[in-house]
Amino acid sequence: MITRQLSRGFGLGGIATLAAGLMLAGCGREGASKKIVEIRVKGSDTMVQLAAAWAEAYHKVKPNVYVSASGGGSGTGFAALQNNTTEICDASREIKPDEAARVKQVTGKEPKEFVVAYDTLAVYANQSNPLKEISIDELHEIWAEGGTITTWEQVNPAMHGKIALFGRQNNSGTYDYFREHICGKDGKQHEYRAGISEMNSSAEVVENVTKTPTGLGYSGMGYKTPNVNWLKISNKKGEPSIEPGLEVARSGTYPISRRLYVFTVGEPTGELKEYIEWILSPAGQRIVEKEGFLTRN
Amino acid sequence: MTTPVSSAKKKFRLLDLLESPIEWTIRICGWSSIIAIFAIFFFTFKEAAPMVPQLDWVHFFTSPRWIPNPAGDNPPSFGALALLVGTFTTTFISLAIAVPVGLGAAVYISEFAQGKVKETLKVVIELLAAIPSIVWGFIGLMVLGPIIQWIFSATAGSTWGRIMVTLHLAGAETGAAQGTNLLTGGIILALMSVPVIVSLSEDALRAVPDSFREAALALGANPWETVTRVLFPAARNGLLAACMLGMGRAVGETMAVLLATGHNNRIPTVLTDPVRTMTATIAAEMGETVQGSQHYRVLFILGIVLFVITCSINVASDLIVKGVKKANNAR
Repeated sequence: MITRQLSRGFGLGGIATLAAGLMLAGCGREGASKKIVEIRVKGSDTMVQLAAAWAEAYHKVKPNVYVSASGGGSGTGFAALQNNTTEICDASREIKPDEAARVKQVTGKEPKEFVVAYDTLAVYANQSNPLKEISIDELHEIWAEGGTITTWEQVNPAMHGKIALFGRQNNSGTYDYFREHICGKDGKQHEYRAGISEMNSSAEVVENVTKTPTGLGYSGMGYKTPNVNWLKISNKKGEPSIEPGLEVARSGTYPISRRLYVFTVGEPTGELKEYIEWILSPAGQRIVEKEGFLTRN
Repeated sequence: MTTPVSSAKKKFRLLDLLESPIEWTIRICGWSSIIAIFAIFFFTFKEAAPMVPQLDWVHFFTSPRWIPNPAGDNPPSFGALALLVGTFTTTFISLAIAVPVGLGAAVYISEFAQGKVKETLKVVIELLAAIPSIVWGFIGLMVLGPIIQWIFSATAGSTWGRIMVTLHLAGAETGAAQGTNLLTGGIILALMSVPVIVSLSEDALRAVPDSFREAALALGANPWETVTRVLFPAARNGLLAACMLGMGRAVGETMAVLLATGHNNRIPTVLTDPVRTMTATIAAEMGETVQGSQHYRVLFILGIVLFVITCSINVASDLIVKGVKKANNAR
């Protein structure tokens, strides 16, 4: 797992650095007139592609700013932040108190947090399926290795047949997140069961569930179409279930949603400040949408 | 008189000088395929080698548990049984469709079709061979999948439903749960290997001398007898080679099966279960693995297994062809 994250980080980071180098060589004259600024971004693996997309788009807006994005995981990003080996840390979780304390101790400044996007998953079912809600426990039994639910009768007597499962390919961040939160239980990590159709893209998951009466799949909330249902989710059977939505995702009551953050050391200034303001602006948030995440407002 | 002779001599010498470079160019062209195959051998084995002693081979061939990047600190599991089964079943289904269809088409084109029909058919089949595999995959996903799903949709207890369950065509209540499955992948692969089989078989049939056909006619054989008793035995080697190449195409195909089979790591129990092949696994996972990691090396081992399979197909077909020749000579 760690090695895989590293690879993605190195891969994208390498490409970004290479691209920056080439651009430097190519636009020497233009660069001479303006001061060249490099912003380093490190952290969450889920956000690497988003960060790279931001970096690329921002370079078109401000050609003298080179943003190099790499992954490695949120924890790696926080470590880099306090070691001053990165200006921006991408994180798909909040900063832990001890991490924040260390940043304060080393740099003398508080880490500053910006919520830049939401990563919200929905569980999709076919429109012909009478089921409207499902609990996290049931989802665990359906998806995890060794789970006991394989047919629809076990969830809802009105629905028949084997459950046809659609997920993402094992190199996807969504795959990891869903596995961690649905297959994982009581602090233990579990694998997915065998026999899940692994799709190449989030849209493909929704497409297959749309066409398959017995289908069930997980995908980003943004991939909903009018021809497919999503299920309301409760933490336990019998508890009130929550429909995926912006408000519940932002407040944190919806169980499979998380905020995506950007952290800096202290209040950002200069080019760094402008970059973060741009990320939060409609231009930056359009890229959030394009990469399949929810915008912050 | 002396002048033309000397000029001819000079020309001869010039050609003589060129002779050896041309000879070498052609020789290197001939060798290049050998060099390429050894380079591929070397590269594939070099990447896989460090994992060969580490890999639990029994587990690899007997477990369907393919978890190359596990959750948390769980150990990875490299069980490729379901992937092997996926590759073999899709190939088998595609051959079961492509061989009869391909041979039939070849017989029709070479023996019965006349004039414009023949020319049109040949051109169309060549066009079929030129369709990129990703387009085939797309057809499987968007067009063929829904049709298969519709044909194999069933309600519990209906006659069709009972027939499907007895024949292992589809599950009891769900029918073909999803359009992308073993059958869809097999049909798409068949469509892809038919052009290969048809054009090679047609060549083989055309190579049978007309005197054979005339002799059969003179003996009073009807067209069916001519085809099955005279042409097929005479063209046996070529036809076999055609089918083997068609099979090679089916085993090695990647993009089409990635889209059309459902990419589902399981051992199929009915014809319309989704499956996952070795090629599709390599294609889907290679891009995101760390170079030098266990996962990376195991993907190369999968490549070697594929290599061994296609090599065995080639060697087997070679032996069969030789056996056939010997039997013919002995007669």
